[in-house]
Amino acid sequence: MIIETKNLTHKYSVGTPFEKVALDNINLQIEEGAYVGLIGHTGSGKSTLISHLNAILQPTEGQVLIDGTDLWACSKAERIATRFKVGLVFQYPEYQLFEETVYKDIAFGPKNMKLSDEEIERRVRSSLAFVGLKESLLEKSPFDLSGGQKRRVAIAGVMALEPKVLILDEPAAGLDPKGRDEILARLRDYHKETGSTVLLVSHSMEDIARNAQSAIVMEDGRLKMHAPVEEVFRHTDELTAMGLDVPQITRVFFSLKEKGYDVSTDIYTIEAAKREILSHLKGGKHRD
Amino acid sequence: MIKDITIGQYFPGESVIHRLDPRTKILLTIFYVVVLFAIQTMWGFLAAAVYMLSIILLSGISFKTVLKSVKPLAFIIVFTAVFNMIYAGGTPIFAEVNWLKWLTYDGVRRAAFMAIRIILLVMGTSFMTYTTSPIMLTGAMESLLSPLKLVKAPVHELSMMMTIALRFIPTLVDETDKIMNAQKARGADFETGNIFRRAKALIPILVPLLISAFRRAEELADAMECRCYNGGDGRTKYKIYHFALRDLWAMLVSLLLLAAVILLNVLL
Repeated sequence: MIIETKNLTHKYSVGTPFEKVALDNINLQIEEGAYVGLIGHTGSGKSTLISHLNAILQPTEGQVLIDGTDLWACSKAERIATRFKVGLVFQYPEYQLFEETVYKDIAFGPKNMKLSDEEIERRVRSSLAFVGLKESLLEKSPFDLSGGQKRRVAIAGVMALEPKVLILDEPAAGLDPKGRDEILARLRDYHKETGSTVLLVSHSMEDIARNAQSAIVMEDGRLKMHAPVEEVFRHTDELTAMGLDVPQITRVFFSLKEKGYDVSTDIYTIEAAKREILSHLKGGKHRD
Repeated sequence: MIKDITIGQYFPGESVIHRLDPRTKILLTIFYVVVLFAIQTMWGFLAAAVYMLSIILLSGISFKTVLKSVKPLAFIIVFTAVFNMIYAGGTPIFAEVNWLKWLTYDGVRRAAFMAIRIILLVMGTSFMTYTTSPIMLTGAMESLLSPLKLVKAPVHELSMMMTIALRFIPTLVDETDKIMNAQKARGADFETGNIFRRAKALIPILVPLLISAFRRAEELADAMECRCYNGGDGRTKYKIYHFALRDLWAMLVSLLLLAAVILLNVLL
């Protein structure tokens, strides 16, 4: 297990009237190399959970184990080292850019790892390629780039750590559909090529369905489901009750089924829908 | 940690103190500070302490919170008290003991006076912000300073600037927290190294913070212009302040305090 939490509980403002349980007894296990989606309503504890995974927040109770190391039972140096194992891309990461050039900004992380200059350069170029930006941008100021480009530079800045786990909090928020597809496609390639673990926090069920292998569902600081994507989307009613949704295409197939068509309801992507409809039509012809 | 800053914190409530006209509160706070510095006897401080205590009780804010406002100043209070004690001069308490000569009756008295004065001062002034929302404070400032408009002072603009500055304190604190976490996630280290290294480590926080402050300022200016904001001329107010009977009472009680203090100064 690359990520494991045991009875992880986090309370904000302990001992004041504003005390709030943000995470309630979370037991989570994520295997190395998995692509996991994390879904939940606003305020369900998603961001709090991921902040625990690289020791930004300390649990009130329970343990967080990364690659077998308990983050709060090891030395401070080891804890800092796990920050390089678990790369965390926060929401709107473009607001953290600060250097004069794109190159320097992406190199900030690797530099903090005290790598050699050649290694830093290799990492900067490879992560820039992963996010699909041209090398001609390297000497530009990050503040001269477009919004989508800034976002990609910021993501590259975390990828350059070459972490074993890459966690992204809504990496596509606020982007136009094209930018959105582009970033998610780049992430898929990154996952395939590096074999690293990816944890994607998203509000979009379509994004989760298209990218993730399994999904974690959170509600009110509790872990509600952790199962393969098909399994999770089968619980349409529960998801709806939590203020979440299933992909629109899945709802189409649920309605078709209700209308009496003999179709599968385990359809989460347009591609799968196309296949199902075609085979259904063909099957129909056959019966004629 | 960074979220624990309590400057200008406001505790919403419905007490008499909360409902006082904010202008009364500003004026009485200034008045109270002046009175504190006029006090020359212990009994005078007792009177001021009783005044303060009744305000605390009336406001319904817990003593713990009030003490919290004094805590960050503990060092300054002790520092001032010690210096007053050492440099006061006068008759030593232990005249026989050579190395205790600096300890004088006058010194102890002055140290105690200074400490009590600062504590009461901090309590009183923080109480103004505890019981008055920032918006009301700046509104009251504008109203109190409005005579200056006659000499063309941009009173409305100043108070609007203050309102905006206060409004953005929590936002920027939040933002700082976020940026710090993001840079920490990239291995930034703010805690070790000598002072120069630490100062340098702040650059990755300060640059994004500054940029976002400018961005917010620009967005806010646009938003205000879109709603036809063009300064204070002819602008009406959502909240109009009225002096009520309770304001009169508050002033009377405060005058009573002044009278008591003067009387005690003269008599003792």
